[in-house]
Amino acid sequence: MNYCGERSTDILLFLDNALTGQKLEDFRAHLADCSICRERLQEEQALSSLLHKTRPLYLAPQALRARVAAAATQQASAGSPVSDRSGETGAQRLLRWWREVTRPVFAWKPLVAMTLVLTLSSVFIPGAVQRVRANNFVEAATEIHQRYLGGNLPLQCRSRSPEAVTDWFAGKTPFDFQLPLSQPVPAGKARYWLTGARLVSYKGNPAALVAYETPTEKISLLVASSKSVAVAGGQELRSGGLTFHYRSGANFEVITWTNHGLAYALVASLTGSPQHSCLVCHQNMADQNLVEH
Amino acid sequence: MCYAVMSFSGEKRQFLSQVLDEVFDGLYGYAMVLSRDRTEAEDLVQETCFRAVKAIESLEPGSNAKSWLFTILRNIWLNQVRQRRAAPKIVELDVDENTLGMAVEASKDPHALYVSKVERDQVREAIQQLPDEFREIIVLREYEELSYQEIAALLDCPAGTVMSRLGRARSKLRSLLSSTLGPTDRRTKGVLE
Repeated sequence: MNYCGERSTDILLFLDNALTGQKLEDFRAHLADCSICRERLQEEQALSSLLHKTRPLYLAPQALRARVAAAATQQASAGSPVSDRSGETGAQRLLRWWREVTRPVFAWKPLVAMTLVLTLSSVFIPGAVQRVRANNFVEAATEIHQRYLGGNLPLQCRSRSPEAVTDWFAGKTPFDFQLPLSQPVPAGKARYWLTGARLVSYKGNPAALVAYETPTEKISLLVASSKSVAVAGGQELRSGGLTFHYRSGANFEVITWTNHGLAYALVASLTGSPQHSCLVCHQNMADQNLVEH
Repeated sequence: MCYAVMSFSGEKRQFLSQVLDEVFDGLYGYAMVLSRDRTEAEDLVQETCFRAVKAIESLEPGSNAKSWLFTILRNIWLNQVRQRRAAPKIVELDVDENTLGMAVEASKDPHALYVSKVERDQVREAIQQLPDEFREIIVLREYEELSYQEIAALLDCPAGTVMSRLGRARSKLRSLLSSTLGPTDRRTKGVLE
């Protein structure tokens, strides 16, 4: 029993897909022999399943969002007088205005509030919303792709050069990210080309969004640290020592994989085979053989 | 030619806006779990936003803004608790969130929606019955998916403590949710076999 008690941490790590290598094999071997740990694992899985089903545990009240949104909207209509009362200083006017749109608890901080409004205005003003709620990497990648297609995630870096995009990302993400160097492609032979990149947020961390285009569609590649990503499921394709996970939904196909501490999700319109998507990155790369499976 | 749309500072603000929007519900949920009071939770979230904006320039490029925001919120809460010099009051949770499930799961059929709401209510109630340190670690790990290291930094304790505390918190939560988990548990039998 003591031995099993020491497996508690392993069970949690196993649930998080954080057990690897020999530890994973040892744990699986132990599970095969230990009905207590099997039962415990099933209980933990049931609990995890229930907790995940109840996400989010709370939604911020719409009134709270609305108060901030109202403040942002009023601020957006810059120049419109907050008050026609004479004799007020700007700070007093702002203070009273802020009290009108928020509870008074923070109204003693009008300048800070003003700063908040300025910042949050880009969140709540229509057209500037860049909301990514999805926790799941595939869902997040799909949502980000849709927002990109919808023009809500404009590229911050526009370039066809992988080197230039790599340089642009330097220091902006918590991970080192380098696009493979391109090989020359004869004029008119390119089936896909890089168009640029931008930063996005995934689980609160900066993630890289790389955009590609074909003559008929836009394709995006989301790159995040694999520490916060569980890449699994879907149709598995093994190539070059990597395992790719392919899913297709109503409108998009998504391929995810991890490599060297990074997680990738390639999102494209549902047009072809998994190999079709892989070639987006590798058509003109030296490692094209990786995807010729 | 490659160009950045915004200045460095502008990028920070834009990024913060994005993160704030993404974690707004999570911050509120964490605040609810800490304070167990809707009004206090709203105040905590607002104050967190204020302070985050004020301190945006101190946010290093590449740092984890989500953890940073949760740390701000927790520090505000701890300061408030210290100032009151009293234990946080336990109030009846009367959160008017009947539309929560509707907003999130509009595609589900009414029965599934009802079951989902019942389960969420049961989970909320169980979590609110946990001791303070268990409540927050459950929310940070199971709902916000912060890593053990991130939680350790947030709670200012070793990662090993986080894991052991999480294990105990889950055990207690399983016990509190035993009636809810019963059928689920049975459904999962055979997963590994």
